[in-house]
Amino acid sequence: MSAIVTSGLSKTYKSLGKAPVHSLRDLDLTVDENEVFGFLGRNGAGKTTTIKLLTGLIHPTAGRAQLFGVDTLLPDARRMVGYMPEQPYFYEYLTPKETIEFYGRLRGLTVAERQQAWEQISELLDLRDIADRRIRGFSKGMRQRVGFAVALVGDPPLLILDEPMSGLDPLGRRMIRELILKMRDRGKTIFFSSHVLSDVEEICARVGILVSGKLAACDRITALVGDVPKSVEVCATGLTAEFVAGLGDYVLAREERKEGGHRLVVENTEAANQLATEISRAGGMLLSLHPVQESLEDFFTRIQEGTQISLPEEAQPAALAAAEE
Amino acid sequence: MKRIVAVAENTFRESIRDKVLYVLLFFAACTILGSKILGWISIGQDIKIIKDICLASMSVFGALIAIFVGASLVYKEIDKKTLYTILAQPLHRYEFVLGKYLGLIAIIGVSLLVMTVISVGYLYVMGGYVTLVWFQAILLIFVKLVLVTGFAILLSAVVSPIMGAIIVFSLYVAGHATGVFKDLPPQFDGTVSKQVLETAYYIIPNLNTFNLQSEAANNVAVSGAYVSYAVVYGLAWTAMLLILACLAFEGRDV
Repeated sequence: MSAIVTSGLSKTYKSLGKAPVHSLRDLDLTVDENEVFGFLGRNGAGKTTTIKLLTGLIHPTAGRAQLFGVDTLLPDARRMVGYMPEQPYFYEYLTPKETIEFYGRLRGLTVAERQQAWEQISELLDLRDIADRRIRGFSKGMRQRVGFAVALVGDPPLLILDEPMSGLDPLGRRMIRELILKMRDRGKTIFFSSHVLSDVEEICARVGILVSGKLAACDRITALVGDVPKSVEVCATGLTAEFVAGLGDYVLAREERKEGGHRLVVENTEAANQLATEISRAGGMLLSLHPVQESLEDFFTRIQEGTQISLPEEAQPAALAAAEE
Repeated sequence: MKRIVAVAENTFRESIRDKVLYVLLFFAACTILGSKILGWISIGQDIKIIKDICLASMSVFGALIAIFVGASLVYKEIDKKTLYTILAQPLHRYEFVLGKYLGLIAIIGVSLLVMTVISVGYLYVMGGYVTLVWFQAILLIFVKLVLVTGFAILLSAVVSPIMGAIIVFSLYVAGHATGVFKDLPPQFDGTVSKQVLETAYYIIPNLNTFNLQSEAANNVAVSGAYVSYAVVYGLAWTAMLLILACLAFEGRDV
């Protein structure tokens, strides 16, 4: 069974005297069980709207969403979700232990289950030292830990995390990354939105990219960015400026390196072979030669800019249309 | 039910930290203790005046707690975004609204109890005494506050706290004046004003139903049947307001 299924999910905000705002349009998305799914898009693209629809905080204008086959408008669907908002806000006068206790009661856990939940979660998130301190004085990182802890109360099979790494220092980001992977290893499905593309690339199997409320692409990262190198970078030393300037048009970029020698970029490995031969003939020394893969960031930038993109068939057909808008 | 109790307990803990509550309780205590001043200028009637002012303080300050704390109850959760993680739990929205409501009712009950203890103690110190009608009057003040809180929470689910407080306060004033709406002077006959005010008479709860102040001050017995009627009247209005609050919050995007 799929963890998340949405069909034609749309959300339009209407306010008196203003033009309607289409925050999300016809979202068809499926996230499988035990998958780490990254949900990307610029600010205002509709990520948080989607997450709020999935958690039942807002109601769809059209379409529907299901979590493990249960409509998101029903409380039973939320039994299967642990949710962490972008900036988790809790009652400031409660301690982390009291907060876990409170959410445990909302989930209908017994006293013994709540105690067990605290033991497990506090150990996992290293909350014991701050167990009895009021949240009021907590730093962003500490609040994020409490937010993650609340999402784990009741051991839900699906975690929905809205920008879990937002505003965190490198150590905090790393902690969240490791937690997500740990949860995946425990069989959970993780659906999270993020701006930090390097983190997404590192931990996600699949991603969906929203552009202006429409799903522009959705597939495995390797399928989106491709596994063929987009160019090959060659570094060499002992070359004269005349030789470098005289190289043919097959060299796409050429520059002097600060540390000495030259950096040359060619389109593919065949061109790199030809260049290596020429460097050798000219008495130069080849320092390095490595293929440059397209990163998720490159792909993300291209899709946002609406430049020509070629996607595999299984990626969303809405991609080009959305990019054109 | 357990989830409603969890939300109610938390609301109680939250409201008990609200400075507005203590400011209002302080002024209520000052008014009760200061009632002797008015007693001095009413020769031979001082106990009666103290009783009157004690009950009026409970009614007014209790209503101010209901209005100012109640009108921001749900809105504050949306504004502070604490609602996101709560509504993402497997609870019905009506459970949240009822939990918030019952938490505030508990606070109002405790506040009324504190004011009752202060007034009864003060009356005995001043040489007075209380009878059953005194406690019947306090019971009906509590029922009135239960109703006003219901209205406050309904507005809290749909409008901002300031707007909510203004509307509930207007209802509180109008609710005490519904008799005037019905018994208009003859010059109003056939006017639109008469029709509007008569309509208002039927759609605004008559808060004077809960007013046993003069009976309590004069130790005039009130029948149990009347008190029961007033309790049922208040609870019926409250039930309707809570149903409306739950329905209003059910469809709201947060």
